[in-house]
Amino acid sequence: MILTRLATAWALFQGLLIEALPFLLIGVLISAGARWFAPGGRWLRRLPSHPLLGPLTGAALGFALPACECGNVPVARRMLSGGAPLGAGLGFLFAAPVLNPIVIASTWAAFPDQPWLLLARPLGAVLVAVALALLLGLVPEALLLQADLLAERRLHQPLAAVGLLERSSGLVGAPPASALSAEVAPVRPPLAELMKHASQEFLYLALLLVMGSVIAALVQSFVPRSWLLAVGGAPTLSILALMLLALVVSVCSSVDAFLALSFAAQVTPGALLAFLLLGPVIDLKLVSLLGLLFRPRGLVLTTAGAALMVLLIGQWVNLWRL
Amino acid sequence: MTPPLLQRAALWRAASLGLWALVMLYSSVDGRLDLLLRAVFHPLVALAGLLLLLVALLQLRLAFGPGRQERGDRRQARTLLLTAAIALLVLLLPPAPSFADLAGQRPRDETAESELSFVLPPAQRSLTDWVRLLRSQPDPKLFAGDPVRISGFVLPMEGEPPQLARLLVRCCLADASPVGLPVHWPAGQAPFPADQWLAIDGVMGLGPAPGGGERLEVVPSRIRPIPRPARPLEP
Repeated sequence: MILTRLATAWALFQGLLIEALPFLLIGVLISAGARWFAPGGRWLRRLPSHPLLGPLTGAALGFALPACECGNVPVARRMLSGGAPLGAGLGFLFAAPVLNPIVIASTWAAFPDQPWLLLARPLGAVLVAVALALLLGLVPEALLLQADLLAERRLHQPLAAVGLLERSSGLVGAPPASALSAEVAPVRPPLAELMKHASQEFLYLALLLVMGSVIAALVQSFVPRSWLLAVGGAPTLSILALMLLALVVSVCSSVDAFLALSFAAQVTPGALLAFLLLGPVIDLKLVSLLGLLFRPRGLVLTTAGAALMVLLIGQWVNLWRL
Repeated sequence: MTPPLLQRAALWRAASLGLWALVMLYSSVDGRLDLLLRAVFHPLVALAGLLLLLVALLQLRLAFGPGRQERGDRRQARTLLLTAAIALLVLLLPPAPSFADLAGQRPRDETAESELSFVLPPAQRSLTDWVRLLRSQPDPKLFAGDPVRISGFVLPMEGEPPQLARLLVRCCLADASPVGLPVHWPAGQAPFPADQWLAIDGVMGLGPAPGGGERLEVVPSRIRPIPRPARPLEP
């Protein structure tokens, strides 16, 4: 019995992993492409740092990246390490998995008879992303971001904003005005270097994805899903149950709408939306990938903040639609 | 020519990437993907495999070509070794899931089929077609006596005889949800083990529903054990 279940878990693991790896590769290639076409990433630092405009701009960038959340992580990491304002980077990380053409099209394909969902999903994703960016923005970057990401990020931030001690290299004193205007053009990395970096990044992320997929597959095989769907009709419980399901199932945002379709008839509309909003932000498979960006405190805050926002949105939708 | 000592990192990277490329490409040809993923994703996996192979070859060239020497660190070496080992494990241990075990854990697929564009003649309907049709036309008397030719796996049910079932998959095995048809198993027939694939010819008949009332069930005239089909998952 236990062997049968382990064999099933092994198959689930392979399914989750092989489905996600192509999207991870797309993300890594886009991140490498950005390093090649815009070395130094000066455009990243020009993104707005306004607490509201920043996350909104980041979220809007999602339209340029037709990948789901696994592919998103390397791109968001590249944005943050390149010195993009924290809000813009986080807005992209949290909203882009929903705010992209493929995900919107798949949501529409799965629920052509529920136009409200087509509007509520992107809108909800932006709300969650802005709230999370505001929340995480309260924490000092040094306590929020992983050490190696922070070190890379400091190098790309202007000294005036960071301080020499934090950056641990650079010139003392304000740079002369002339030097500011004639900033040295960043050097395009050699192709071999770029390839090495991308390969290393892909393999490291793949390892994290493996860990996440193992956990997701084990939880899926040993916790009967009917436990979660048993409370389908109760307004608040159904939202909580589907949020838990989104955490466990860990499928990509580009296909989760089709999965939601299979139980849409059994749950409240708020719970359905909660499933479609929480999964792209956080799930078991993503936790280890997000660990590449955040320290544990950031991960806990992200999970708690996203869960609270999604619960509130779900409740509101249930008040409106039930 | 042996590569310089410090270029070994590039060699390991090439090997690790090559193994992952092999996982993707080999899965695309050995039928494994049919068991794990919905067909629309298969070309994506093959394409990713090809891209990875290309990157691995370029890394290999780097390992043997002239270039700056690399200082590898411990974490990097661990990552390379671990990913290579996992890729090898995935390659060597193909998936062998128990569909009945998986289906037993999942709630039934309840997709409401609002529009049936056309209805196949009874003998050509698959198990999934039948389930969807019965859901959209819940009056069981409409179909009693229709011929049935279906295949599926044996799914044990709690408190009733086993059903013949299929798994519906929207993305990958992780989101599989079962659909099943009740079968009126012939008296005296030794029960088939869970997961056994069967092809059943017969007719639709009326039988007692567990909650009272009547429901349609397959009354077999011929039951043949078959191997698992090459494409066991249905969209």
